[in-house]
Formats: sequence, structure tokens, C-alpha cells
Amino acid sequence: MQSTALEHPKGETQTDDSARREKLRQAIAHATHLLPSQGPITVFVHHNTLHAFEDRPFDAGVKAGGRRFGCHPYLPEEHYREQLAHGRIRVQDLEAVLLESLGEGADCLVGSFGTRYALRLAMLQFPLRSGPTAELRWVIAETDALRSFREEVEPSVREQLIDETRRWVRRDLRNGNPVREFADSDVLAEMLDRFDRRTIESWSPKTWEAFILNFLWKLCYNGVRLADQLAPAAQPVEHRSKRHRDLLLDATGEDADLAVDELLIRFCSAFLDQGFADWQLPDRDLGFYRAFLNSYSQPYCSPTRWYADIHGEVRRLTDSQIGPLESIDESLRLLGIGEDEQSEFILQSLLALRGWAGMIWQLETNAEWMPRPAPAGTLVEYLAVRLILDRVAAAQVARESMDFDGPLDQLRDTAAGEVADDQLNSVDQRAFVIFQLAQVRGWKPEHLLAFSPEQWTTLVHEVETFPSLERRRIYHHSYERKYRNDTLDAVITHSQRTRAASAESSVDGQSFRPLFQIVCCIDDREESFRRHLEEVEPACETLSVAGFFGVAMYFQGVTEAYFKPLCPVVIKPQHYVREQPLYSLMTSSQLQALTRRRIGHALRFAQLGSRTLVGGMLTGLLGAFAAFPLVARILFPRTTSRIRNFFGHIVTPRSSELHLQRTEPEPGPQEGHVGYTIDEMANVVEGTLRLMGLTKNFSPLVLFCGHGSSSVNNPHESAYNCGACSGSRGGPNARAFAQMANNSSVRRILAERGLPIPEDVFFASAYHNTCNDEITWYDVDRIPVTHRKLMEHARQSIDAARERNAHERCRRFESAPFHLTAEEALRHVEGRAEDLSQARPEYNHATNALCFVGRRAWSRGLFLDRRAFLASYDPAQDDERASILERLLQAAMPVCAGISLEYYHSTVDTEGYGCGSKLPHNITSLIGVMSGAASDLRPGLSAQMVEIHEPVRLLFVIETTPDLMRRIIDDNQGIAQLVNGNWVQLAVLDGATSQVHRYIDGQFVPYEPETTQLPLVTSSLDWYRGWRDHLGFASIQDNRP
Amino acid sequence: MNYDSIMQVLGVCVVACPAALLAVFGVMSLIGRPLGERMMARFTQVSVVAGLLAALAILAMMLVLDTRHVPVEIGNWVVIPAQHFHFHLKFVFDRLSVPFAILSFVLCGTVGAFTSRYLHREPGYGRFFVFYAVFLLGMILSSLAGTIETLFLGWELVGLSSALLVAFFHDRPNPVRNGQRVWTVYRFADAAFLIAALTLHHLTGEGDFEGLMGRGPWPEGVASITGSRALFVGLLLLVAAAGKSALVPFSGWLPRAMEGPTPSSAVFYGSLSVHLGAFLLLRVSPVLEVSPLLSAAVVAIGLISALFGAVTARVQTDIKSALAFASLTQVGIIVAEIGCGLRYIALIHIIGHACLRTLQLLRAPTLLHDYGTLENAIGTQLSRAPTFWERVVPEQGRVWLYRFSMERGFLDAVLNEYIVRPFLALFRYSDRLERRWTDMLSGGQSRESDEVKPHTAALEEFV
Repeated sequence: MQSTALEHPKGETQTDDSARREKLRQAIAHATHLLPSQGPITVFVHHNTLHAFEDRPFDAGVKAGGRRFGCHPYLPEEHYREQLAHGRIRVQDLEAVLLESLGEGADCLVGSFGTRYALRLAMLQFPLRSGPTAELRWVIAETDALRSFREEVEPSVREQLIDETRRWVRRDLRNGNPVREFADSDVLAEMLDRFDRRTIESWSPKTWEAFILNFLWKLCYNGVRLADQLAPAAQPVEHRSKRHRDLLLDATGEDADLAVDELLIRFCSAFLDQGFADWQLPDRDLGFYRAFLNSYSQPYCSPTRWYADIHGEVRRLTDSQIGPLESIDESLRLLGIGEDEQSEFILQSLLALRGWAGMIWQLETNAEWMPRPAPAGTLVEYLAVRLILDRVAAAQVARESMDFDGPLDQLRDTAAGEVADDQLNSVDQRAFVIFQLAQVRGWKPEHLLAFSPEQWTTLVHEVETFPSLERRRIYHHSYERKYRNDTLDAVITHSQRTRAASAESSVDGQSFRPLFQIVCCIDDREESFRRHLEEVEPACETLSVAGFFGVAMYFQGVTEAYFKPLCPVVIKPQHYVREQPLYSLMTSSQLQALTRRRIGHALRFAQLGSRTLVGGMLTGLLGAFAAFPLVARILFPRTTSRIRNFFGHIVTPRSSELHLQRTEPEPGPQEGHVGYTIDEMANVVEGTLRLMGLTKNFSPLVLFCGHGSSSVNNPHESAYNCGACSGSRGGPNARAFAQMANNSSVRRILAERGLPIPEDVFFASAYHNTCNDEITWYDVDRIPVTHRKLMEHARQSIDAARERNAHERCRRFESAPFHLTAEEALRHVEGRAEDLSQARPEYNHATNALCFVGRRAWSRGLFLDRRAFLASYDPAQDDERASILERLLQAAMPVCAGISLEYYHSTVDTEGYGCGSKLPHNITSLIGVMSGAASDLRPGLSAQMVEIHEPVRLLFVIETTPDLMRRIIDDNQGIAQLVNGNWVQLAVLDGATSQVHRYIDGQFVPYEPETTQLPLVTSSLDWYRGWRDHLGFASIQDNRP
Repeated sequence: MNYDSIMQVLGVCVVACPAALLAVFGVMSLIGRPLGERMMARFTQVSVVAGLLAALAILAMMLVLDTRHVPVEIGNWVVIPAQHFHFHLKFVFDRLSVPFAILSFVLCGTVGAFTSRYLHREPGYGRFFVFYAVFLLGMILSSLAGTIETLFLGWELVGLSSALLVAFFHDRPNPVRNGQRVWTVYRFADAAFLIAALTLHHLTGEGDFEGLMGRGPWPEGVASITGSRALFVGLLLLVAAAGKSALVPFSGWLPRAMEGPTPSSAVFYGSLSVHLGAFLLLRVSPVLEVSPLLSAAVVAIGLISALFGAVTARVQTDIKSALAFASLTQVGIIVAEIGCGLRYIALIHIIGHACLRTLQLLRAPTLLHDYGTLENAIGTQLSRAPTFWERVVPEQGRVWLYRFSMERGFLDAVLNEYIVRPFLALFRYSDRLERRWTDMLSGGQSRESDEVKPHTAALEEFV
């Protein structure tokens, strides 16, 4: 660009340069916190979308995040109003939340309009319509806004208003207009003229209504105008710290980012490609910046002005050997960015394509396991390229649309001059709000006429200090309050009920030995599975613990190519475990592996070949045969998949075992280093059993059940898997745990440590596919003969439970009719998992809202509608510092809160925080999805995933005492931040008395139940049948012997 | 009832089924009573299956009776004797149209079944199926058309529905922008088509293909016009076909069209509508024979497109663009085959390619899953040895070629710069002239709309 601007100002020293660049580096490092932190989509880990704002309280955090990213902090006001109309928010919730939020100010009188509380409640209860000025003018002119009262206005209020005004006007008329101090008395006269005052005696009620409304409107309009004259003029909009593109867009309507983004998206996806494209980006090894320079300095590649400009700029940078950081420095100078706004400008530039920038940062720092991670410094180089392109594009748009040919650092001032100032809230807009309020509150024209400008100012100010954003906050808290109170009431009543029942029954709960025990993940999707199992076999016991069962490992399955981590992302596993075919099947298994490899190569060849010239011709000519799988897979997904599975079974080993025991001292992936030592196994088993309080009263059969999910045509498949296994399937963890716990040497060590497991106890393992509700059993051949009958019984119960579970899930699927039987429901969900055209194979964590930590005793038999994470914990077995609970919450609270908050944000703004609709998604570079042909990378959850979600903050109900909980909060930074910042809601429950304390502003406050009513039903089916929407709580009759 | 009238009835059925579908969907939305999801899916199913059965029955009868040419006439709709014009709705069942119609029914039917679940609960469900019905009718009309006007009618319906479906997600700017782009290119192709049709009328006095290509059944007709005339008409038709089939230099729109829901991308740009240009060339293939120059042009465009597609597909990093360019490669080859006179091979190629590509596109979102499966089967990362090209082409050439492919041959940029921009400049200039004129007449600002700024909705909460 202007070559003179490039030369460094004379006298500037080397140290200045390096100091400035260090500052730049810091500004970029700082900006990375705000980039999306979702890595490649094949390992989808749920986390709070606004993690960077977690150091602030929830409300401040979502507002700041919303402002930064241009996203919604809460649901739209319209949505809450619908919920109010449907009773999902009650007026009493609004009242309580409003009172709480106003505190002292609630009773403050606003002029003669009533209290602040009453005014705000009216604004919440009645929808205040608003819109752009032009639209409002149309509403006033063309609709009956000025002819009839709003329908919410109560008839009595309307009658009274009409009556009194009629009397007053006639009296006024007869007595002549007394001169009022402030009002321009012409208003009434003008109105009367307009409505033909001679016929006033014979005005119909309709005419009176129209007269009053017109009069009110005029008064409000004039009042707001009066108030405006007193109020200071609005601040001029700050144009600095805006990107050139934003100002140009405002000034000319031309978007400079269009060309930049199109080029950058292409280049980024080529650079980050993990092996999809046949040709790799040339010079990728040299880094983003050099690769870009080399590519764009090619000769004969600049057919248009845009490319020619880039070419010139790139050539200059190459020739003068300017590095990426220097280039950023130079670009900022050329663009006229001052030191003070530098970091803000860098941040905005990075956020312009925040999905791609975030992915670059993730691949640079957090994805060493990917085939082609990005080298360190890529984000800096990306920014350098972005700024070069931004400069060229801004210059081009300015030249073409504004005839601006000067230096770029003056562009913003020039463009700002052309931006039309649009006033945010015009007189019309504010007057219309007050006009509507006047109707619903029944303010009389007579009084309004007498208002002083000061009074009007107070009123306008009062209304403006309760804007939409603040109303939505109040609505949202009311929305959460209703569900929270329902939950706590249900927990209190239900736990009292079960306590009373167990006191009555002769059997003591402690000494009763369950028929079998099953341990699931704490996942909300397992809640209904456990509930149904308890209904099918009341003599069983269900427990839950984070679904990696304490076995943090790298695992390689028998048909898998690599080790992958099976544990929460925060843990880095030390151990490696491999699945291998049984010793006797080794030979045949090698043959099978060879066959698999051959088929794989053939498929790959065909897949790639169909995209080339010659290969494509051959496959194209034979392509008519593709019609058969095409039609079959779409019309009969379930049958087709069964046929495929049948053939799949031929090439996979029939049975396998885990290579679990290590012979060498050091753990590692090599032969001999794979596995655990006996001591390590004992630690794993002890830790997990103590965590969930399963230390005595073992039943003869203890089942560990991991979970995962399988679906087709679903780029987000990994998000549906177990969150405690890094988005993988948790079956191997259950299998490994059972094998460890069955080991006699392990049991000996455990007995020495005071955790004896009786001889007759056998641990079995299984894997639950939450999408098609299939259960896969592991190592069934190892079950002792003595346990087989019991095992058979357990299997039957579980089969019945999974059918019922599928049935309950089907109530949520509109495409599953209500009349399905349990068996048909199972077939339905099996079909869903295999259906290429199914955008909702399952609903994943949608609707999650609760997390219960405590004994199952008080939640067993409570219908939770698959909305609760359940973690088993027995306070009686914990020490006086509650260190087991502490350990449990350290892991469970961030994970559950992460899931809940990701759902929250993706629901309140599916386009902004979520990834929009799944239907046009396009997988790119094997790392993420774009919407359509080319767009920013889309992290977050899709519209189809969150459509039934209720965005509420997760409510923890923990069975412990306030003091112990406070100790844990005080000692744990991470927990304190979530709890004190209100990113989650917290309540503690006393298991013996059912007393609940809520945690409010750092205090545990006793909770008074609103009601003790809780429906009692005979089974879950009874309660949910025929109902698609969210369901309330109910006690299910206990059929235990 | 003799065989002939049975064939006539069946023939009308094939066309009437999609027409009825469109009528039901269209009328119900127009009178403000849109159908529910289940009803729409059911209607689609019935209409497609009925149409398909009728087409299959015709095929069977044609095979049994050994007839190769069955015209079905539905009357003259517009007759302007003074201009010697008559709009003649006539359909022809022959070896070209019957397979193509059956292909359309099978693919549309499958995609209809797919979409009825894929778009479940989507607010645009009804809209999609209305466009779908337009598309299906367009495909059937154009494949069975016996006159060039009928073909043009179907051609337009296909174009309209395609462009609207690209812009299906009209709340985001990109789909709308790309939809408009597709629409513009289509208009360009349509203009060429229209001129060709008029010329044809002028030359032969009617729009019947028979008049143009002799009475023999496809593909054995012999064109009845001279070489130079054939060249003129043929080149126009070639431009039309190139626009519709995204051949060079119009290829830029094909990857941009991948904005709609996955199934629409699959059936439109992967299989059916992208082959319509090739179909047009097949239909008029006797004309190609008359002029070797024309045939050469067709082969050249086909080969250039195929090469361009093959090279460009290699650098695409997203699945849908890669499939789009892979489609382009095959369409290019098909066009070249037509130019060489290999008509049956071209037809088989179209059918095979359409089926395969539909399946591949419908499965596109499962790419990561498939990659995982393949990696596990093969047992290592799917890394690739340097391909033949990488070994042969020198370093500098590779960088250049990569850049060329990444920019998709600069086709869009060049069209924008050298066609669109001068075009816009001309019209803006005319607009300025007009404004000056009207301002002078009204003695001041003559356009109120100039003052109104477009309303950009600010986020609700920050108001």
C-alpha cells in the first residue's frame, strides 16, 4: 500500500520494536481465551461455552459474553411470555424473583404511578410490544392500536377508565378549560375537535374508547418529548475500536469480510486438513504465513484486481522478508490502530472467524494426538494473514463504494462520517411502551395531563431502567425458580414417604441383601434405565459412579487401529490396555484381520477412485448397482444393518479378552508394559467402591455397565458418548473394572485394607448403547456355574428394563406413535440408530436440569424424567471432613456443569453459540462442520440436539450438611467459582429429616416447601403415557418385598 | 381397449402424478391450509410410486410389443395462426426418455423418503416438499418432452426449484447469496435455450423434435437441417447445457449450491439436475452429427470440464465440495461421450453416476464414522503415499496447480470481474441517468426510497 507509511519512523530503536512485539504477542495470547475451546469434532467434550467468563457471576457473565459475541444471554422475551401463558412460569414466581432482585427498592414510589415493584410486575405480566420506529408508526396508523384497548386490559379497568374520563371531559367542557400549569391545554381541545365535539352527547362507547386511546397516546408522546428536553442528549456512538469492515458496512452496506472470509476459509481448511484432500497444501511445513506467501506470490494467478492487490502485497512482504509478527505490527500501523485499542482490535479481528481461529489454537496447543497438529505460532501467523487481507479488502471497498483513495489509517474517520446516526430509542418507541403501560395500569388521561416534566422524566427513566434484557433476566430466574421449587418439594415429600415406608416395613434396609446390583454411569440418560430396572426387579439395587469407573486408560480394541484415552479429559492416563482375541483363536483371528484389511483397502480404493477421472468413470458406469444399497438403507434401515452386521461378524473374532495384567514395571504401550499391576488394580477397585459407598452388603452378582452411543450420518456422534470417557464408549472400562474386582489377589489386598468382598460375589460387565438401547455382555464365559441362574435372571430383568426404557424415550420422539408397545419401541430406537435420514438418533443430554448426589434410598422411585445426573454417595461412610464427597464433586461438578452450560448456551442462541441446524452441515478437513458450502467452523450443539431442552442452570441436590459443603466450597477453587458465581444452583439435603438448605449468596438458607402434594402412581408408564412434553415429578409405588 | 390406448393412459399417468402432487401441495399452501408432515410424506409416496409403476408398465409394454417410439399428445394449448405458432404439449416415450423418467422417479422417491424423516420438525418442511414437487414435475416434463417448448417448461421448473432450494435456509445470508448466483447462471443458460428454441421454430416451423431430427426413433433420427444452422442452434444449446450442468466456464456455482439440506444437494447437484444439460445434448444428438465442428466443441467442453473437475476435486477439503467436483468430472466425461456419438454409453453412465453420487452425498455426514471404520480395518492412519502426479509434476508446477485448484480455476472471480461488473456498471449508469432525468422533472429529490436506510435489527436485549 502506501510505501511511505511502511518505513519505520526515524529514531526508533531495536528495543522498542521487540517490546512492542512482546505486547502484541501478549494481546494475542489474551485473545485466545475468548476463542471457542472445542477441539476436533471426533473427540467432542462438553464444556461451558462461556468458560472465559466464569470468573464473573452468571448474569454478568452471560451479558458480557453476549455483548462480546453478539449472542443472546437468555431466551427471547417472547418465549418466556409463552411459558408464562402456559403456566411454566407462574405469576408468583415473577413476584418472588422481582421482590428479591429489587430488595429495598421494591417499595420505592415512582411519582404517582405506584411502586416500582408494581410497575415492573405490570411490565413483566403484559407483553409490551415494540419495534423499529417505522413499524410502530405503521401499527399506530393502520391497526386498531388507537381504537380499542389491548385485550389484556381487564374489563373493569376499561369500564372505569371510560366512565371517569367521560365524566371528566364533559365537566371540563362545561366548566371551560382551567389553565393547567404544565400541560399544553390544547391537547384536549385538539382531540375533541378531531372527534367532533358537537356530537359528544351521542358518542358511542366505541367512540369514547377510541377517543381515550388517542388522547392517551398523544399525552404519552408529548410527555416523552417533554422528558427528552430535560434529559441530557444521548452519547454519540463511539466509532473507535471498531474494525474498518464494520464501519464500512455501516457506511456503504458493502461487507469487506466477504472476500476475506471466502479466501481464508479455504486456506484454513487446506492448512488444517487432517488428510481428507488428495493433495496437501504445498509448503505446509513452513507454517501458515510462509505457505500463504508462497501460494499467493505465484505468477499468472491474479486475474482480478483483488488477487492482483494481494499478489503485490505478498510480493513486497516476501521480498523485504517481513515475518508474521512484524507484519501484524505493520498492518496495525497502516490501519491506524493506536496502542490503546490494539488488544481490542486484535481480539475483534480474531473473532471475525472465531470458529477457525479457535480450531487453529486448539490444534496448536491441545491436539498432539491428531495426524497433523498445527505448529506453534500458527495463530499469530493466521492473524498476520488476516490483517493483510483485511487491509486489501478495506482499501478495495473504500475505493469502489466511497471513492476513498487515501491512506487506510484515515479510513475509519471518513467512514464514520458517512454512517447515519440512528438513534437507539426514538420518542415513538418509548412513548408506545408508556402508552401500553397506561392502558394495563389504568392511568387516567386526566392525571397524565397534569404531569410536570420532572414527573415525566421520572417515569421515562423508570421504564428505561427496566429494559428487555433486565426483564429477560427476571423471567429466566422465575423460569428456573418454578422448576427448582417443584424439584425440592418433590425430593422432600418423596424422601419422607420412602423413609416412612421403610420404617413401617419389617425388613431393615441395611441388612437386606439385594438380588443383584448394577452400577451405571451418572449420566442423565441412565436415570430412566435404572428406574425401570428397579420397577422390573424390585429386589435389585442400582448405583452410579462416573462412567470410566476409576479405570483411566488408553485402550485399543481388537478391531481398532490405535490406543485412545478412556477417561475424563482432565486426566492423562498412565496405563495402556489392549483387547485381544482368545489365545485359541489367534490363528483364525490373524486371517480375519487380514481380510478386514483387504476389504478396507478395497473400500478405500473404491471411495477415492469414484472421485477421480478414470476411476470415477468405471464406478460411474457400474454405479447403477449403488441403487440397491441406496434404496435398501433408506427404506429399510434396520434390516439392512442386520445384514451388514451378519457379514461384519464373519471378519471379527468371536470372543476376546483384555490384556490387563502387566509384567514389566513401567506402564506403556509396548508388549509386556500393557496393563496394571495387582497393587494398581487394588487401588482402582478400592477407590471406586468407596466413592459410591459400595463397601458392604454386596449382592452375589454386581454388574458394571458402561455406556456409549452409535448413530450414522451424525458428525457429532462423539458428543453422544460417555462424557467421562473423553467422548468415547465406556464399555471397556466396565469390563476392565469387573476383571480387576474378580481378581483374587486384588481381593486379598482389599481385605487387608478393610474392604472385604465375600467369596461368593462375582463382578460382571456390560455396555449400554443409549441410542438403540442394546446391552452387550462381556466375558460371559467366565461367569461361574453357581451364578449362571442368577445371571440369567438379571439378564431377563435388564432386557425388560431396556425395552421399557426405549418406550419411555419414544414418548419424546414425535415420529414414534403413542400406541407402540415396549417391544415395538425397542425396534423403533434400533431403527433410528441405523437410519441415514435420522437427524435425532437420540436426544443425548437434552433436558438435563438436576444432579443428585447421595444415597439412592431417597431418590429411588421418584420419576425424574431423564433429567437428572445421579451420583451414588453415602454420607454415613464418609469421614468428618467429607473427603469422599470432595473427591466426587471435584470431578462431577465441573463435568455436569459443563454439559449443562453448553446446553444452556446452545439453546438460548442456537445460531450464535450452537452450530445451527444440522441439515446443511458439511464436514471439513475431518475436524469440524461448516454450514453449507463454506462458513465459519461451527462449534457447539445443533438445533436438533437442543430442541427439547429447557435452558436452566443445573441444580445440585447433595446429601450432606451445610457445614461440610461450605468446607468443600472454601477449599476448592473450581467448585467455589461455579457455586458462588451461580453458574450452578446448589441445595443440600439432610437424609434423616428431609430438611433442605439452599445456597443463596454464600449462605445456606432453609427451604420451606410450597406443597407436600406429590402424585403417587403405580409405574413410570402410568405417569408418562400419552405425554410428549416435559413431565413433572411423581412417586412410583415401591413393590419391594 | 387396444394396447395403444393403454399406453396413452399410462403415459398421461406418468406426467399427471407429479402434476397432481404439485397441485395438491401448491393449492393447500395457497389457501392457507398447509398439510401436515405425515400427509405430505404420504402424498409424495403415492404420487412417486404411481408414476414409477406407470413408467415401468410402459417400459414393459414397449419391450413386449417392441415399439420404440410412443408419442402422447395433450393438445395444442396456444395457437397463434398468424405467427404460425402453436404451443404443443407432447410427450415422447422412447429409449432415452423412459430410462431417464424411471431414474428420476427412483431417485426422487428415495430422496423423498429420506427427507420426510430428515426434515422432521423443520419449519421449512412444507416449503421443501413444494419445491420438491416442482422439481419432480420439472424432471418428468423435461425427460419426456416431445417438443422443445415442453422441454423448456420442465427445464425452467427444475431451475426454479433448484435455486430456491439452494436458498432454503434463507435466514442466513450465504445460502441466499449462493441461491441467487445459481439463479443468475441458470438465467444465462435459459436465455441461450430460449434463443435456440426460437431459432428452431424459425427454421422448421414447429418445436417438435421430430421436425428437427427426422422421424426415426431415438437415437437413430437424422437431423433435417444443414450443418451451419445446426452449428448455430447447437452452440446455443451447448451454452444452455453448460450452464445447467455446470460445465466450464460456469462450474463455479456447483460447489456453492451445497447450501441446502443434504438430501436436496444430493438429488439436485449430485444426480439429477446436473445431468439435465447432458440429457438435452442427448436429446438433440442427431443435430450434433450434422456438424463435426459442433461435435468437436461438445467434446472439447466435456473434456476440459472433466479435467478441471478432476484436478480441482483433489484439493477440496470438505466432503460436499469434493463430491461436487467429482460429479463435474463425470458430467464432463458424459458430455464428451455424447460428442463422440456414444449415446448408449452416455445414458448408462448418467444412470450409474446419478445413483452412486446420490448415495455418496446422502452418506456425506457419516464421513468421520466411515474414516474411523476404515482406519480400524486397515490398522493404520489413512496416510497416503505421494500420488503419481505429485511425483511427476515439478515442485513449482505443483504449487501453481494447487493454487489454481484451490481458487477453483478463478472461474467465479473472472466471471465476476469481466461479466458481472461491467454489466452492473452499465445498469448503474443507466440508473443514474434516469434519476437525473426524474429529478429534473420533479424539480428535486424524486426518490423517497433513497432516504430510508435498511433497518438492521439490533439484538433485542441491547435496545
